[in-house]
Amino acid sequence: MPAPLGSLRECREALDQGRTSSAALVEQSLARAEAHAHLSAFVRLRAERARAEAQEADRRRAQGEVRSPLDGIPLAVKDNLVRAGEETTCASRILEGFVSPYTSGVLERIEAAGAISIGSTNMDEFAMGSSTEHSVYGPSRNPWDPARTPGGSSGGSAAAVAAGIVPMALGSDTGGSIRQPAGFCGVVGVKPTYGRVSRWGLVAFASSLDQVGAFARSAEDAAHVLDAIAGHDPRDSTSIPEPAPSCAAALDGDVAGLVVGLPREYYAADGIEPGVLDAVREACAQLERAGAKLREVSLPHSEHAVATYYLIATAEASSNLARYDGVRYGHRAQGAHSLSEMYERTRSEGFGAEVKRRILLGTYVLSAGYYDAYYRKAQQVRTLIRRDFEQAFRGCDVIATPTMPETAFRLGERTEDPLRMYLSDVYTVSANLAGLPGVSLPCGFSEGMPVGLQLLAPPLEEARLLRVADAYQRHTAHHLARPPEPA
Amino acid sequence: MTGVPHPRYEVVIGLEVHAQLRTRSKLFSPAPVTYGAEPNHSVHPVCLALPGVLPVLNGHAVELAIRVALASQCHVHPQSIFARKNYFYPDLPKGYQISQYEEPLATGGWLDVRMPDGNGGERKRVRLHRIHMEEDAGKSIHDAAVAGDATHVDLNRAGVALLEIVSEPDLRSPAEAAAYLRALRSLLRYVDASDADMERGNFRCDANISLRRHGESRLGTRTELKNLNSFRFVEAALEAEIRRQASLLDAGEKVVQATLQFDPASGRTRVLRLKENADDYRYFPDPDLVPLVLSDAQIERVRKTLPEQADARCERFQRQQGLPEEDARLLCESRALADFFEAAAKRHGDAETLVNWIRRDVLHALGEHGIEIEASRLTPEALADLVERVRQGGVTAQSARALIPELVLSGGDPLRLIQERGLEAVSDTGELEAAVDAVLREHAGHVERLRAGEEKVRNFLIGQVMKRTGGKADPAALRRVLAQRLGEGGS
Repeated sequence: MPAPLGSLRECREALDQGRTSSAALVEQSLARAEAHAHLSAFVRLRAERARAEAQEADRRRAQGEVRSPLDGIPLAVKDNLVRAGEETTCASRILEGFVSPYTSGVLERIEAAGAISIGSTNMDEFAMGSSTEHSVYGPSRNPWDPARTPGGSSGGSAAAVAAGIVPMALGSDTGGSIRQPAGFCGVVGVKPTYGRVSRWGLVAFASSLDQVGAFARSAEDAAHVLDAIAGHDPRDSTSIPEPAPSCAAALDGDVAGLVVGLPREYYAADGIEPGVLDAVREACAQLERAGAKLREVSLPHSEHAVATYYLIATAEASSNLARYDGVRYGHRAQGAHSLSEMYERTRSEGFGAEVKRRILLGTYVLSAGYYDAYYRKAQQVRTLIRRDFEQAFRGCDVIATPTMPETAFRLGERTEDPLRMYLSDVYTVSANLAGLPGVSLPCGFSEGMPVGLQLLAPPLEEARLLRVADAYQRHTAHHLARPPEPA
Repeated sequence: MTGVPHPRYEVVIGLEVHAQLRTRSKLFSPAPVTYGAEPNHSVHPVCLALPGVLPVLNGHAVELAIRVALASQCHVHPQSIFARKNYFYPDLPKGYQISQYEEPLATGGWLDVRMPDGNGGERKRVRLHRIHMEEDAGKSIHDAAVAGDATHVDLNRAGVALLEIVSEPDLRSPAEAAAYLRALRSLLRYVDASDADMERGNFRCDANISLRRHGESRLGTRTELKNLNSFRFVEAALEAEIRRQASLLDAGEKVVQATLQFDPASGRTRVLRLKENADDYRYFPDPDLVPLVLSDAQIERVRKTLPEQADARCERFQRQQGLPEEDARLLCESRALADFFEAAAKRHGDAETLVNWIRRDVLHALGEHGIEIEASRLTPEALADLVERVRQGGVTAQSARALIPELVLSGGDPLRLIQERGLEAVSDTGELEAAVDAVLREHAGHVERLRAGEEKVRNFLIGQVMKRTGGKADPAALRRVLAQRLGEGGS
């Protein structure tokens, strides 16, 4: 068994000191991925390309040219970010064999920074799910307990970082799809402000909620990844036109006087696993000991967040996924005798059950006669939720919550109960509805499984968010814990 | 029956026009806008709806749309929203069309349209309900010769910028509808927003039509006529639909709300689908696009770039150049033609003569070649020079007219052409006398008849001399010589 890769910082220091090479890191990473095939973290490796890019990176470094703190270091990429000339499937049969002619804005940036993708990671089909079980490639597994889910939808990316296959990975977060698996797998997962990272080339699930973000072993590492991918992209009309300030440069370890808001409604909710609540309370106490102040805040419309989220997300998804019709690319059913038969069979064969469920829901939500009651109402509640946060942030600098009310559940346990799966998104979806940046940090264990602490900040305050997360990690060691090596 | 009111029913028509905006790239995609390109060659990942692509609004399209809205007195909204109109069709790559729905770009304008002579030739104000931007679909090709029993899809047109202009139901006859369409086409061309060429499909019309008893204030049930793709079809289709609806009403039956298509072969309208089967388009604001926000300053900046409007120009031509209204109107139907005339009139002061040349010769030559004035190689200066030369007697009108088709097609300096081809008018008496003498010898019988007082024979003889001189004889000189040789006058 090849040794786990170190953190991004450890890899960088080893490269800087000449103790290793990009080629060696990539080999280690690829071997580690092979050795962890049982996790199904990856759906595709790009071994030869990664090796060639590693040699290129080593050549650069030998000539004294280092592009960024990510240069020459292995990366994993969720299978919903397109890259020219390579397959992207979103873990869906309908995109089987689809090769994009263009590259996503995020991959352009992270490649310009020198990071080397070793492959594409597993996910819930079209990022719809919280367990990575809804994948045409089968479920991913949690490195802490392979009988359990790594979470989702970016479960493959979270598992790959947790298992020490790569020190960093890219994911996307529409309702918690980065933070939730980060919490379940005991790694750091950051979702930036909506519009901070380009969506150009991110295969859409719900356009007004989708945001690309990063997994890493520490807040500091995540800050470097975010610095590499954030910034304006004119190809995305919702991209924030201002330049993104460096997050890594803001990590001074200082939280003295910082006010941490604790939403009354979140902590009062039934159904939080006691071990989770204990770990999160202890994390807040730790921040207090480091000089921060704790203050109760209120988010009065929280109880409507999950319903609002599922109305908006499914409505947008039903429209975004209409393009998968078998006409131009991807799967097309054979032998259809009419246009409608071709559509029906193509989409029936191509999409999995969860995607179909959400397309049906979303189609209903937008239908004449229901639009006002569902979609328009949901948008109104969304505005109220955004205002809740504006109000709350008048009294605090960041908000601290559990990432999830529970730890990773067993595979298969929720597949027959989608509603229960949806309801567990209660703490994560609000950040997407309000467009806020959020991060999940490892903050301990409950019955042997990692617990995530979620921090939220006002829009564009990623630097503040990661400064607090980094300060917490300077005082704690939860993020250094590693899952057991497989036998 | 054009312009004649229906004996029993009042006809109520509103039109929806789709005009292709004159942009270099598509409404939300960098793909170039082409005409007649290889199928699926004017495309880009955005208009192919590949996974992960996002729309970015074309600023030039917005500017052109604002020009049209301002030129038609519309209120341009400080904020408008792009929405998704969801439906499945192979030539609609995303499975939705981006259009404006609840919050359009502009509302509430009007066009003052000169109605056909049957309606007294009066101006009528046709109100505009709304103007909005949207993207075009691609083209499905069912032609068996091309596609066999399959359907082929050409996405060159998919995503091209369209402006939809919806009138209020203010039109009362097919002729009024046609007059409105012509006025709208002229406006679109005037402000450079669209080529508005029906034959190329960049000016398309749907019509809503209903009948009601004269004096009734409630609107009758309307039907929608789709894809009326020539001015002739618009009138013919509306006439056919009036006949269909009138015969239903006459028989005491009800008009059912439906979408119909006109079949030019049979001259009848055919029901495509009934309203009950109407699609639910599930409109909602496109989350990939931000609201289009326009400041007063931006709108005013566009307003400053607007050219003089056709109506104002037409009045100015009558006032300044002393043109009859009919001529002024003809010139102002096309901004390019009006520009041509004005440039020519600047060089040659006799506006009325110029207009005659333009009407009689230039427009005729354009028609013969099947081109628009914009494509003509005849410069206004060249026409002015030619007309001046005729006035001076340096060339006969006949020779000059013969040059116009060539000038329109190939251009060139008319004065040099006259010289090179030896078309100078023959006023040399010796040469003329010889020609006249020869004609008088050949046509002794006609000479007798003329002498006997049959004056119309004179023109025949003049014609014969012209023919002999290849049309170059200066007419005044010719008349003089002929009179002399016939021994008339005695001067």
